[in-house]
Amino acid sequence: MFAKQGNSGNKVNIKRLTLYALLTAVCLIIGYLESLLSITLIAVAPGVKLGLSNAVVLTLICTNDTKGAYLVNVIRICLSALLFGSPISFVLSLSGGITATFIAHILSRSKSVSAIGISIASAVTHNVFQLVAAVFIVGFGVLYYLPVLILLGAVCGAFCGILAQLVLKHSKNFKV
Amino acid sequence: MKVLKKGDFLVIVTVAVAFVLSIALLFSFSKQGSRVVIKQNNKIVYNQSINKNNEFDTGTNVIVIKNGVVFMKNATCKNQICVKTGEISKKGESIVCLPNKVIVEIK
Repeated sequence: MFAKQGNSGNKVNIKRLTLYALLTAVCLIIGYLESLLSITLIAVAPGVKLGLSNAVVLTLICTNDTKGAYLVNVIRICLSALLFGSPISFVLSLSGGITATFIAHILSRSKSVSAIGISIASAVTHNVFQLVAAVFIVGFGVLYYLPVLILLGAVCGAFCGILAQLVLKHSKNFKV
Repeated sequence: MKVLKKGDFLVIVTVAVAFVLSIALLFSFSKQGSRVVIKQNNKIVYNQSINKNNEFDTGTNVIVIKNGVVFMKNATCKNQICVKTGEISKKGESIVCLPNKVIVEIK
């Protein structure tokens, strides 16, 4: 629906631009609140976050705006690394973020996968590729986390997927 | 309206298989370890038997080896994830402190 508008002429679609900016801001705030929450989660599994900002990106993908999803995700990762992170956390979340968005992009083309399935797949991919990046930085010792990360990725992914599906169901005005 | 579609179950099955495989991978490595190796900035700074009780200070992190278990006593990093990792004793297990680039491995 939007793609036609976006491609007509070289004019920037102001509504879309504002939407991306707004969603990026939402991602950053959610990410920050989450990092406060994850302090209590550290006792269960160190470094685990819920990944709620992925629900935002997922909502974009499910409205067939994959370009916007990549854009918001990459900007979100860069900004959150500048604001709260370190070079290492930037590399980790970038490798996870891009591969996760890519998997979500591919799965969203299939009509038989719902937002929940896409979310679970991309959350697990995110965690696995983050771990792959961590292997390059610190060595094979971190592979010990793989089962924990797959399981928690599936749980957090399901949560975000349900959230995204609820948002999609209740916001008919989301398509700008 | 059905909440889960056919493709979703495929995704869940794939993830479950990946989970089981990763556990199998983990268990194949989880023998009682013999040596403790501590690396800092990718250089080995400590490499001794796990049965030797010791306390090692990398300058940023203090690692304690006592009665066959290893744990991070304290660290200068902000998140303290390494300290909260707890005790390790099996082959392949590790404690990682990303901020200080310290990694404790059991081999």
